[in-house]
Amino acid sequence: MQIHLQQCQFEFEQGFQLQDINWQIKSGQHWVITGANGSGKSALVATLAGYGEKIAGTSEGSVEAVALVSFEAQAALIERERKKDDADILDVISVGTAVHEILAEGGTNANIVKDLVEKFALNYLLDRPFRALSTGETRKILLIQALASEPQLLLLDEPFDGLDADTLAMLQQYLAKLSNTVNIVMVLNRSDEIPDFITHLGYMRNATLAHSVARADESGYRELFQLLHLKTSDLRIPPTADSSTQALLNPDQPLVVLSDICVKYDQLKVLQNFNWRIDTGQHWQLCGPNGSGKTAILSLITGDHPQCYSNDIFVFGFQRGNGESIWQIKQFIGYVSTALQWEYRVGTSLRNVIVSGFYDSIGLYSKATDKQRQIADQWLALLGMQGRADQSFNKLSFGDQRLLLIARAMVKHPPLLILDEPCLGLDDINRQLVLALIEKICAAGLSTVLYVNHHSEDTIAGIENYKNIEKHSSNVD
Amino acid sequence: MLRSLANVPVELSKLFKWKMTMSNNYFNTLALRDQLEQLGKCRFMHLNEFTEGVDALKGKKIVVIGCGAQGLNQGLNLRDSGLDVSYTLRQAAIDEKRQSWKNASENGFTVGTYKELIPTADVVLNLTPDKQHTAVVTEIMPLMKKDACLSYSHGFNVVEEGMQIRQDLTVIMVAPKCPGSEVRAEYVRGFGVPTLIAVHEDNDPQGQGLALAKAYAVGTGGHKAGVLMSSFIAEVKSDLMGEQTILCGMLQTGSILCFDKMVEKGIDAGYASKLVQYGWEVVTEALKYGGVTNMLDRLSNPDKIAAFDLAEELKDIMRPLYNKHQDDIMDGTFSSGMMADWAEDDAKLLGWRAETAETAFEKTPAGDMEISEQEFFDHGILMVAMVKAGVELAFETMTAAGIIADSAYYESLHETPLIANTIARKKLYEMNATISDTAEYGCYLYNHACLPLLQDFMKKIDTDVIGKGTVNDDNGVDNARLIEVNAALRAHPVEQIGGILRGHMSDMKAII
Ligand SMILES: NC(=O)c1ccc[n+]([C@@H]2O[C@H](COP(=O)([O-])OP(=O)(O)OC[C@H]3O[C@@H](n4cnc5c(N)ncnc54)[C@H](OP(=O)(O)O)[C@@H]3O)[C@@H](O)[C@H]2O)c1
Repeated sequence: MQIHLQQCQFEFEQGFQLQDINWQIKSGQHWVITGANGSGKSALVATLAGYGEKIAGTSEGSVEAVALVSFEAQAALIERERKKDDADILDVISVGTAVHEILAEGGTNANIVKDLVEKFALNYLLDRPFRALSTGETRKILLIQALASEPQLLLLDEPFDGLDADTLAMLQQYLAKLSNTVNIVMVLNRSDEIPDFITHLGYMRNATLAHSVARADESGYRELFQLLHLKTSDLRIPPTADSSTQALLNPDQPLVVLSDICVKYDQLKVLQNFNWRIDTGQHWQLCGPNGSGKTAILSLITGDHPQCYSNDIFVFGFQRGNGESIWQIKQFIGYVSTALQWEYRVGTSLRNVIVSGFYDSIGLYSKATDKQRQIADQWLALLGMQGRADQSFNKLSFGDQRLLLIARAMVKHPPLLILDEPCLGLDDINRQLVLALIEKICAAGLSTVLYVNHHSEDTIAGIENYKNIEKHSSNVD
Repeated sequence: MLRSLANVPVELSKLFKWKMTMSNNYFNTLALRDQLEQLGKCRFMHLNEFTEGVDALKGKKIVVIGCGAQGLNQGLNLRDSGLDVSYTLRQAAIDEKRQSWKNASENGFTVGTYKELIPTADVVLNLTPDKQHTAVVTEIMPLMKKDACLSYSHGFNVVEEGMQIRQDLTVIMVAPKCPGSEVRAEYVRGFGVPTLIAVHEDNDPQGQGLALAKAYAVGTGGHKAGVLMSSFIAEVKSDLMGEQTILCGMLQTGSILCFDKMVEKGIDAGYASKLVQYGWEVVTEALKYGGVTNMLDRLSNPDKIAAFDLAEELKDIMRPLYNKHQDDIMDGTFSSGMMADWAEDDAKLLGWRAETAETAFEKTPAGDMEISEQEFFDHGILMVAMVKAGVELAFETMTAAGIIADSAYYESLHETPLIANTIARKKLYEMNATISDTAEYGCYLYNHACLPLLQDFMKKIDTDVIGKGTVNDDNGVDNARLIEVNAALRAHPVEQIGGILRGHMSDMKAII
C-alpha cells in the first residue's frame, strides 16, 4: 500500500478545513501524529478513512482495507444505537444490538475476535447490549472489531486513552506484533506513549502537517519528540531551592520604575525621556524596531548597562547608585537572550548550566547543593532531556541550548523573567519548543514576564501589556 | 629632596628621575634577611578570609587615576560591587576629550581634574602606565587627604624607583594577573581573575592596608578566582622575570626561529606563519588545563620523547640567560637600564619595536589552509619543547632566587596562554602592544640575547619537529624510556604546585 497526499485541502463539517497537506505513507511505515488540541490531528488521520471532502490537491495511492478507531467513530456508533432505540415502534424496551453482533459486523475474522475477547477479558459482556457498556468497554469492543477486520491500514486515534496498565501493556504488545504486517497510524497525545515500532512522527499545527520526521533522522526526531513532550505532557514547574527572592520584595512597591531615561553613546542619543513602570504580575511585551533601544532598556533594568548609574532607576526596592551591587539586583531577575547564549560558550554540564541560574553566573563557580542538583534534574526531565545531565553544554544544538538557558533563568523562580527575543535564530520547531515552554512558565504565574519579540506570530498567551518604542536616535548638539 | 620634585617642570623631572632612583632602589636598601623575607612572601588565601566582602571600602570615595585597560575595567567592577568610583585624568586628557576621558564619561562616571577629585578621595587607585608613576604620584601626593590610601596594580614604582610616600598614607597593591578586558569579562560572568595583593609595610600607619586590599580584591571579583597574599617586592621581581623570559621573550624568539627554519626548509611561508601564529595558543591551551604534562601528553609517544629531549637541551643552553635576567632584575641593573632609556625618550625601545615589525614572520600573512587542533601539536613539536623549557626554567630560576612557588607559577605557566592568545590575535605586534612597556623592553633584551644563543641548536633542527611532523610508520617507543620521561614530567615542581593551584581554581571554576 502507499498513500501520497500533495497540497491537499480537506473540508469537514462545520467548515473546518485542513490546509496544504503534504504527506506520504509508504508500506512498512508506522506513524504517530500529534499536535495541540484543535490542530487537526484527528481530522488528518480520518481523511485516510475517507472522512472529509477533498477540495484541492491530489491524492494518489491505494489501500484496500482501512479500519479506524476514534472517539468520533465511537460516538457515531453509540449515536446509531441510540437512534435504533428511538426508532423502535414497538412498545417494549429494545435491548439494542448485542456486543457479539457488533463484533461480527463488517466481516471480521471470528478467530481473531475470539482471541482478542479473551485477551481483553471481555467474555462476560458478549451478550449485553452494546449501548449498555461503559465508555471504556465500548472502546475496547471497537478496537477488537477494527483489529479483527484485518485491515491493511489501521488508524488508531488515542487508542491507549483510559486503558488500565495491564490492558495497555497487552495492547502495545499486540500492536508491536501486528506492525510486522499492517501499517499503523496513530494519533497520540502523550510523547511517552509512542511505541518503539513507530518509524515516523508527524506534528500538526494550525490545521496543517507542520513537521514530519523519520526516526532514522536522529536529531530531527529528538527535537520533535521533545516538542511533543513539552506540548503534551502534564508539566509542572519544579520548585525552587530555598524561598524565592519574591519574599524579599515589598508587595506594595512596583518591581521596576524607569523615570526620564536618557542613554547616549558618543554623539548618539538612543533613548530620551523614556518612562516605564512594571508592577508585579503585569506581563509585558516590549516592541520596537532594531536600534530603538530595547536592549538598552533591558540592560538598564538588569544592571548591565554602565549608564544605569547616571539614570533614575528603581528596581526591586533599590534606587540605583546607592551602594547596592549588581548581584543584589540580579538575584531578582531571570534573563534569556541570544547575547547570553553567545556569552555562554562553556564546556560545563547541562546540570551545571541550570544550577548556575541560582548564582546568576555564566559557568558554575560554587559547589551546587544536593537540592539544587535535584531541581536541575527535574528541569531536565521537564525539557525532555532526562538522562543527559552530564552532557556538555557546548555540544548541544542551538535550540536545546536556548531551552536550557530558559530553565536556568527560571530555576530560582525570579520575580522578573526577561525574555529578550527568545526565539531569535531558531527554526520553526525550536521556536515552537521555546514558546511551549514559555507558555508553561507564564501559566505557572511564578514570575512577572517581560517579553521582547519582533515576530508578531510568536505571541504568548497571558501577556496583555504592550510597550512600543519608536526609533528616535538623534544627534546631541 | 623628593618632595621638592613636585614643583620641578616635567621635562626636568624626567631627566633627574632615573639618576635619583638609581640610588633609591628600595629592594637594594634592605638587608639580605629582609630581602629574602619579602621575596618569600606569598600565601594562597582561603575564600573564607573574604567574608567581610567590600565592607572596608563601603562609603569610601575611590578615585582612579587613568582610565586605560586596568583603570576602566577595575573601576566598572568596583562600581558594580556597590562602591563609589570616579576618575581623575590629567588636564590634557580632559581638554582633548581623549579616549581615557571618553571611557570614563560614556560609562557614566564622574571625571575631574586632580585638584577637583584627589582631595576628596579616601582611596586613590594609581592606574597610569608604570613609566609615569613617579611623575603622577609626585604630583597628586600633596593633594591627598591625610590618612588616605594609595593603591597600585604593579609595584615597580615603589620597589625599583624607591618612591617615597607620605608617612600618613596607607600604600597597598592589588594586581590582577590578567589583562584589563579579562578582569571585566570574568567579573560579568560572576567570577574573577587570580589576583595578587600586598601591603607596603613601610606605609601602613593604621594597620588597615590588608583589610583595604582584601575589600578591593573582592570588589574586582578576584577573590573568587584565588588571591595570593604577597609583597611588593615578590610581585615586582617575579612579574618582571616572568614577562621578559617565558611569557614574551621566549614566545617572540621562538616565533622568529620556528618561522625562519620552516621557510629555510622549503615549507610554504603562509603555512609556517599560520602554524606559529596560532600554534602557541593551541599548545598552551593544553598547558592551561593540565600543565606541562598535559601539553606533552597531546603528542604521540615518540613525539613526546622527542619534545622532552629537545626541551632538556634548550634548558641547558638557556639556563645562563635565565639566571642573568633574574640577577639583573634582583640587583636593579634591569630597571636602571630601562629607566636610562626612558630618559632618552624610549630610543631603544622604539628602535626594537620597529625591528620586530620588520621580521619575516611579522610580514608574512597566515595562509588560508586549515590546520586541525591536533596538527598544531604534531607539526609543532619544537614549539611545545620551547614552551616546556621556558616555563620550567623561569619557574626554577624564580624559586631559586627565593620567590615562592605559588608566585612563580602565576608569573610563568599561568600567564603563558594569555600572552599566546595575543599572538594569535595579531602576532608579535599585538603582543608587544598589549603588554606593558616594561615587559616589552625586557622581551627585546631577552630576544636579542636568545637568538644568537640558539643559533647552533637551530642548525640541527629539521621539519620533523617543526612544520611537517615525524613520519612514524611505527609508533613504537622504548618502554623504559617512556616511563622515565612521563615520571620526569610529572615530578617537576611546577607541576606539583600547578596541580594544587589549578585544583583551587577548578573547585570554584567549572569553566576556564
Ligand atoms: N595591562 C595589564 O595586563 C596589567 C595587569 C596588571 C597590572 N597592570 C598595571 O596597571 C597599571 C595600568 O596599566 P594599564 O595597562 O591599564 O595602562 P594603560 O592602558 O596604558 O592606561 C593608562 C592610563 O593612564 C593615563 N595616563 C598615561 N600617562 C599619564 C600621565 N602621565 N599622567 C596621568 N595619566 C596618564 C592614560 O590616559 P591618557 O593618556 O589619556 O591621559 C590611560 O588612561 C600599571 O601599573 C600596570 O603595570 C597592568
